Amino acid sequence: MSPTPFLVLSALLFSIGTLGVLVRRNAIVVFMCVELMLNASNLAFVTFARQHGNLDGQIAAFFVMVVAAAEVVVGLAIIMTIFRTRRSASVDDASLLKY
Amino acid sequence: MIPLADRAFDAPHLNYGRLSPLLIVFGVALAGVLVEAFAPRRLRYAINTVLSLVGLLAALIAVVLVAGDAPSHHGGVSLGSLEAVGAIAVDGPALFLWGILLVFGLLSVLLFAERHLEGGLTAFAGQAAALPGTDAEREAASRGVEHTEVFPLMMFALGGMMLFPAANDLLTMFVALEVLSLPLYLLCGLARRRRLISQEAAMKYFLLGAFSSALFLYGIALVYGFAGSFQLAAIDTAISARAGATSMLLVGMGLMAVGLLFKVGAAPFHAWTPDVYQGAPTAVTAFMAACTKIAAFGALLRVFYVAFGAANWEWLPVMWVIAALTMAVGSVIAITQTDVKRMLAYSSIAHAGFVITGFVGVQSAAEVGDTQVTSLQAVLFYLVTYGFATIGAFAVVTLVRDAGGETTHLSRWAGLGKEAPVLAGVFAFFLLAFAGIPLTSGFTGKWMVFAAAWAGGAWPLVVVAVLMSAVAAFFYVRVIVLMFFSDPVGDGPTVAVPSILTTAAITVGATMTLVLGVVPQPVLDLARQAGQFIR
Amino acid sequence: MNPYLPIIGLGVLAAGFAIFSVAASSMLGPKRYNRAKLDSYECGIQPTPQPIGGGKFPVKYYITAMLFIIFDIEIIFLFPWAVYFDSMKLFGLVEMVLFIATIFVAYAYVWRRGGLEWD
Repeated sequence: MSPTPFLVLSALLFSIGTLGVLVRRNAIVVFMCVELMLNASNLAFVTFARQHGNLDGQIAAFFVMVVAAAEVVVGLAIIMTIFRTRRSASVDDASLLKY
Repeated sequence: MIPLADRAFDAPHLNYGRLSPLLIVFGVALAGVLVEAFAPRRLRYAINTVLSLVGLLAALIAVVLVAGDAPSHHGGVSLGSLEAVGAIAVDGPALFLWGILLVFGLLSVLLFAERHLEGGLTAFAGQAAALPGTDAEREAASRGVEHTEVFPLMMFALGGMMLFPAANDLLTMFVALEVLSLPLYLLCGLARRRRLISQEAAMKYFLLGAFSSALFLYGIALVYGFAGSFQLAAIDTAISARAGATSMLLVGMGLMAVGLLFKVGAAPFHAWTPDVYQGAPTAVTAFMAACTKIAAFGALLRVFYVAFGAANWEWLPVMWVIAALTMAVGSVIAITQTDVKRMLAYSSIAHAGFVITGFVGVQSAAEVGDTQVTSLQAVLFYLVTYGFATIGAFAVVTLVRDAGGETTHLSRWAGLGKEAPVLAGVFAFFLLAFAGIPLTSGFTGKWMVFAAAWAGGAWPLVVVAVLMSAVAAFFYVRVIVLMFFSDPVGDGPTVAVPSILTTAAITVGATMTLVLGVVPQPVLDLARQAGQFIR
Repeated sequence: MNPYLPIIGLGVLAAGFAIFSVAASSMLGPKRYNRAKLDSYECGIQPTPQPIGGGKFPVKYYITAMLFIIFDIEIIFLFPWAVYFDSMKLFGLVEMVLFIATIFVAYAYVWRRGGLEWD
């Protein structure tokens, strides 16, 4: 089976995630886009693992999933604290620090 | 495809002795969490402080012992061994970086544990979950609640920082990157004073950091697709053989570079640095500025020298541009800053540029004479000089205060020289070191990286670097003039009297900055003994 | 014969049965409306009304969700270990015990500091 369609899908997902991080203004949505990028990497990992016939990529996918979960917990904790303080999760409202 | 069950599988072997510095730091972090869980509240601070200090000292001793019996290769050019089935390289540069990370970690613990400045409490939020400006927060403050979790968090971050430059495969490197980053995101948001700014810094650091590590991860995926392995040496072999799709390698290399350059704070990926350095509690800023940069540069050097060394014609021009841009951005924008912490942040960006200048003068040990150092060794030495001065400077910042806590606006620092001549003098000394004035460590450090870059053929970059050092010297001197030759505005700042902890950190920072400026040879010899990366 | 043909056949059968059942019950069944029939569900508890503005979950909900995710995902490392348990002998067992002990440290922290109490 050709790996190309999977790699194209992975690149598409990664691009959507990147674009989302750059244009969206809600911290939660930005964060979801980062998770999309991580999962795009996961798809690339397992596709390459199949292509090269070794297991390294599949193991990498496991680690990435765990790391992503840890990141979710830390990220949600930070975003939630900000939201409770300011009643807003917009990244534009967080603008005390500049220049 | 080979069916999974048919593969031969040998149980791996771990040499716990060689890995002991890492294991001790992570073990102390876990023990710290247990202390938080089971020790009574009033004892937690004391137990965790002592535990952290003792643990770091033990890890430091372990590093010395491991370095003492590390096997030597190629007639002393490199030393060390690959451990954990090739996942971790315990080699000369890694051991050197472990040593300095632990020393700077010790100094940071001293700053973290300072309790004299906030009326008997640490500089961290009493209760991070209580909203700023509410009764719950005031009640937590009056009851004297404090988050001593910062010590285990710092230990986890430090463990990740030690693993990061020692990682010999890309997957370990990614996991280490996250282990060092996640606790730092949290630590940034835990300031006792100015909590809104602190939380905002945490969110910015988190979102941008998560974004950059996602880019780094996709880069890893593409490089894995190119080479079929995570091992740095296997990637090097694949690049030398030019097997596979080169475009995939180039994109992967680029994405990985973005992730690493973000962590070192190089332009154009520096935008988070001033915001985060300003908003984070100053002790955390000192820790981040010194240790994160050291770890990230170690990893950057290892990836690009060991794995991508055969493709250096592709990445060297890019690094030239980034080095020049980083120095320019750091030095020029620092001039317009009105906040001490932001100014130091831009100064740290400029320093990242100087380190990259040394990094592009790629040389092997065979190319340099006995009296010269390779660019790797020059960078290692520079990181030592930079770390001591940085921790010392941020420690001074914690002491200049007014009613609202630390006062970091430059106008409030006017006339500090009359108020507290010793403190202002020490700060001026650190600034002179940042500027690279002779008899300070900054001069010897800059000399080393510029010499390495020059010998490696990067002389135009050295010219730019010298020019930018001159620009940077301007704003350092401006602050010194402000402190000593201006009159204080209004009441002027008060200088708090710290406990022995902060005093010790500043003293060590200042002493080492002077010693490395006058007699750099012992540390330079250590850096030279570290040799080269092993594969 | 294409190996996917039976699957398509099954899909057609399922779709046909679903359409037939819905159509038949609407044509043949008696139509008697009452309050209970207009509820969202005809059994179980009444759904709680949504507050205005989409509603907010209590913070407790997030903490529980986070704890669930972080402890749940660690299981992932047990699967490859279980597959190769035999060939890794004592080493694998010791390492996995260390790994689980590490997770228990985090669990002990959560438990002692009240992360598992709902109120």
